[in-house]
Amino acid sequence: MAHSRRTFLCRTGYALGATALASSLDQLGLISAFAQQSNNIAADYKALVCIFLFGGNDSNNMIVPLDAEYSAYNTVRGPSGLALSQSALLPINPISGRQFGMHPNLSPEVANPTQSRGLLDVWNQQKLAVLCNVGTLVQPLTRAQYQAGTGRPYQLFSHSDQQTQQQAAISNGPSQTGWGGRMADLTGGLNGTVPLPMAVTVSGTNLFSTGKNTRQIVISPAPTALNSVLVLNASGGAAADQTARRNALQQLLGLDLDAFLVKTVSDTTSQALQTSAALSTDPTVGTFPATSLGNQLKQVAKLIKQRDVLGMKRQIFFCAVSSFDTHTNQTGTNPTSPNGGGTNSGTQGSLLAQVSQAMRAFYDEMVAQGISNQVTTFTLSDFARTFAPSGSAAATVGTDHAWGGHQLIMGGAVQGGTFYGTFPTLALNGPNDTDTRGRWIPTTSVDQYAATLATWYGLAASDLPTVFPYLSRFASSNLGFLG
Amino acid sequence: MRKCLSLRSFRHLMRLLSICALLSFCGAFNLAEAAGGPTILTDAASTRAIAFEAVTYRKEPFPLTMPVPFSADTRSRVVFFVMNLDLLAGEGANALAADAEDATHHHYTFTVENVTPMPGYEWMSQVTVRLSDDIGDTGDVLFRLSLHGVSTNRVRVAIGHLGGGPADDANMVSTPAPFPAPAPTPVPTPNPYTDPAFATANDSVRFLEQATWGPTTNDLAHVRSIGYRAYINEQFNTAITNYPAQDLYPTDSSVGCPSGTAPANCARDHYSMYPVQISFFQRALTGSDQLRQRVAFALHKILVVSGKDLNNQPGWVTPYLQTLDRDAFGNFRQLLEDVTLTPAMGDYLDMLNNSRVSPNENYAREILQLFSVGVDQLNPDGTPKFDAQGNRLPTYDQATITNFARVFTGWTLAAQKKWVVDGTTNVLNYTDPMVLSNNVGSYNATLNSYSGVFDTAPKTLLGGQQLPAAAAGLTAAQVQSYKTNELKLALDNIFNHPNVGPYISRELIKQLVTSNPSPAYVQRVAAAFNDNGQGVRGDLKAVITAILLDPEARGDAKTDPNYGRLREPVQLVTNLLRTFNATSDGFFRDDLTSMDQDLFNPPTVFSYFPADYSVPGTNGLFGPEFGILSSSSTFKRANFVNKLFLANSGNGIPASQPNAPTGTQLNYSAYQALAGNPSQLIDALNASMMHGTMSVAMKASLVQAVTNVSSANPALRTQTAIYLIATSSQYQVER
Repeated sequence: MAHSRRTFLCRTGYALGATALASSLDQLGLISAFAQQSNNIAADYKALVCIFLFGGNDSNNMIVPLDAEYSAYNTVRGPSGLALSQSALLPINPISGRQFGMHPNLSPEVANPTQSRGLLDVWNQQKLAVLCNVGTLVQPLTRAQYQAGTGRPYQLFSHSDQQTQQQAAISNGPSQTGWGGRMADLTGGLNGTVPLPMAVTVSGTNLFSTGKNTRQIVISPAPTALNSVLVLNASGGAAADQTARRNALQQLLGLDLDAFLVKTVSDTTSQALQTSAALSTDPTVGTFPATSLGNQLKQVAKLIKQRDVLGMKRQIFFCAVSSFDTHTNQTGTNPTSPNGGGTNSGTQGSLLAQVSQAMRAFYDEMVAQGISNQVTTFTLSDFARTFAPSGSAAATVGTDHAWGGHQLIMGGAVQGGTFYGTFPTLALNGPNDTDTRGRWIPTTSVDQYAATLATWYGLAASDLPTVFPYLSRFASSNLGFLG
Repeated sequence: MRKCLSLRSFRHLMRLLSICALLSFCGAFNLAEAAGGPTILTDAASTRAIAFEAVTYRKEPFPLTMPVPFSADTRSRVVFFVMNLDLLAGEGANALAADAEDATHHHYTFTVENVTPMPGYEWMSQVTVRLSDDIGDTGDVLFRLSLHGVSTNRVRVAIGHLGGGPADDANMVSTPAPFPAPAPTPVPTPNPYTDPAFATANDSVRFLEQATWGPTTNDLAHVRSIGYRAYINEQFNTAITNYPAQDLYPTDSSVGCPSGTAPANCARDHYSMYPVQISFFQRALTGSDQLRQRVAFALHKILVVSGKDLNNQPGWVTPYLQTLDRDAFGNFRQLLEDVTLTPAMGDYLDMLNNSRVSPNENYAREILQLFSVGVDQLNPDGTPKFDAQGNRLPTYDQATITNFARVFTGWTLAAQKKWVVDGTTNVLNYTDPMVLSNNVGSYNATLNSYSGVFDTAPKTLLGGQQLPAAAAGLTAAQVQSYKTNELKLALDNIFNHPNVGPYISRELIKQLVTSNPSPAYVQRVAAAFNDNGQGVRGDLKAVITAILLDPEARGDAKTDPNYGRLREPVQLVTNLLRTFNATSDGFFRDDLTSMDQDLFNPPTVFSYFPADYSVPGTNGLFGPEFGILSSSSTFKRANFVNKLFLANSGNGIPASQPNAPTGTQLNYSAYQALAGNPSQLIDALNASMMHGTMSVAMKASLVQAVTNVSSANPALRTQTAIYLIATSSQYQVER
């Protein structure tokens, strides 16, 4: 080798080495990313609404078998007080020959009519589906493969890493963009020139909505009026002084951009100024629960109502609920009492009531706006939680970090009232368990889940591999819950 | 082996060749333009770099892949020549960052793989750079290197094909090699900042931004008179201005503050973070133990508890905050143990009352992931290790977590105390460290453990260290003693893991100095963590000193485009207050919440913002504080500045009972005296707020804005100037 290099060197000579070598690397990937911008503007409106359940929702208590397998559930979760009673669960029949129950707080009004409505009606109208045992995967994975240490996602069971992977749909390492943002990068043309970014967040910055080129706008949730979410105050001096000051502030935003962190702050402020100008009215929408998620979805509903005014054809929203990290006090002293019913129903019960009531109000509002078929809402979470409890005694029992779990998908376009994916075998050390505590190895990947939503949204099939680089490793890129 | 030898001799030959070529290239042998800073050599007539493809030594344009591949990684390497590259002893490629900008103003991060002084020409170094994977056939790019936060000139180099590219930077000139050659500087430059007397005017402002809650006139004069090192040592010996002790109250607020009979503000003072939030700002504003406070707050963001998950009781959170203050200048091992045993942490991460039966994994996971070793195995410079396939190597696995979870069993609250208000009601003891439960049970051979709440079976910890089971037949006191010792052994096991030095050092650098420290900087600080010079591991004084006196922290102006950190809301408040001599009641709770930093109520154990937050739109730069910078909060920051300087007729924040008894007043009369001369006004603010780093363009813009305000209104001129600087991105990012 050394000899040939030297020969090569002698032949070309250092000082004469100006001959250009043709680059063998084509840049088609990059070029096509920009070319997408020339797509035709969409004729219809569509929105995706992500609700991220931060902390890791224990979906083992969200959807519970009510048939013979209930006893397997109760054997593991009963003694510590973690199990929900059979009578409290809301029966559903998603799979022929099998019966399941939803957590009572997915429809708190069933047990307590004074509570605002949850999701059971929406399920019965077949506008709500459950995707079973979905999670982060780098490849389809058997228990044997897992236990042999092959094909595992990066840093399983870690909040930060699993949140990243759920939001990135890339599970083999850290990511700097999310699948919502990458999808927005490639579907921006569907909006044409509009005053708002495609990705809107009502719960702080997140990876999901961050693309290579897409920068999310972050606004406050209700009750802040939509035309007050981004207001730059100005006091002191005459109106002319204030205008001049604002102009000077804007001028400074264009300077010293050579420092990358400075540029990022300036880009953020510039985008806020632009969006602020566009959000000039506060439309009226229906009643929403005065909860964190209720107020977030209310603000989303207001933006959707403004879609024609703003000229938006495609929007991606991000909402979130935190505190699902129920290592303790998951069920409280009365796991079956709906939130607000006057008895402690534990952390998860309270959160699921919040989620279901806010989602229901949002669904009703979309129906009222006549747009429910064009808005799909879905949940994501860090991970599900161990089937085996941590700790004991009803007041303190909880669960630890696990892996595959169930997610909810809601909307007029959803072919609901049924399960998608495969419900896991609820057995410690069983065929779906990583070890002996009931951490289910996912049987559907978040890549597939996300790709199904993205396809409905309008992402071209040819762009799927760009947004979901590992999708082709899985059997299906469309799980069918959106027709 | 033969291959290696031939490779080495080949490289030696090429080095000699290249020197000849280099000198012959320098045509007119002009003196180099460089003003002492690191400078990439160019040809004599342009800004084109003298650079060679590393294998063939061919000139630009450089192919993206090596014409003659060396290894499976075929990306091209390019060699540049740099003068005035003042490396410290032991510094190499991991001290340097490389950046290239193409015609579309897209930036690429190249990897510096090698730095070698040229034999016989030690004033000049040869720097080998790997082209990034994402760069294509861009044509010309402008390339620079950065060392210790300072950038070189940007030189032109052709990638793929010659021509195109961005325009040269203003005032950029060619920088050919000097002739005659400078005298060799064979030994690496010593770190000048450890000189006790060293403290320049502008850098001392930066120093106080890093080491305190903001520079005051007095502190500036003091540090300039005694120097950085003496200032740090003085701070190490300054007494703690404690958070006031808070009474323990019943868990149930309706008992602690019964409606109708409880004093006004009872709930605020005993079931909210209000008292500690107020104390925080009062101490930050006037306390003399500035460095301790700053480090303790950094530690709070690493070893996190949150009041919102501690029943909002200041009586529960205060002992934890006092622990951080007490241990901030102690040993990290002690800190780890003290924090572990605070009831606040026990409650927050569920070690409190954790039992042998289904032990909870929460504390086990987070003490490893966040408080000590992190998820990836690290090199001594904090960069992750990779296996042969390019995968990161995990520091621990689920089995390790499970074993640590079993260690952290059996701890409970110390004996209850009496509520001070009535002297009879029992209140939970969140003041004293947790103690071991008396529920020992009896030895159970099947479990190989005692049957109570303790797990006394054997455990396997990091690095495979084995902890033996407790023997059968021990007394209850002996079993407790076993568990106490087991906890110490487990914390020793964590503390002695090689990741702790680089992990904790990097996190502290990110909190105090810059979000993207060079690996070399991390390595220097980690070395101080590993050994303080007297054979002691974990000495935080040594770590803090190493952080603050490093060349990457010090120096008048940083030009590295990656450099700096976003001022978090807490710091934005304290910096403005201290710079402008405020008097304040310390009530900023609502302002901070609106800026997404609810003081002492971080949303999760991942703190107010994730330590590994990657800044969107950059090449993977870290910027933890950007995790709470959004279109929404950027306005809230500006609105806070407006409130401080312009609302209320410029009289600060008015008093408002009951929460803000005196309000906040600022004093900028010294600046106002300069308002008749906008240029002088901006110069003065540049010195005190931006430590002299303001660009010419920014100053011109500000002078114009101030001039536009009537000279008859010097207050408004001053307020306008301060508002525009404090809201600017250039100020928000501390550089």
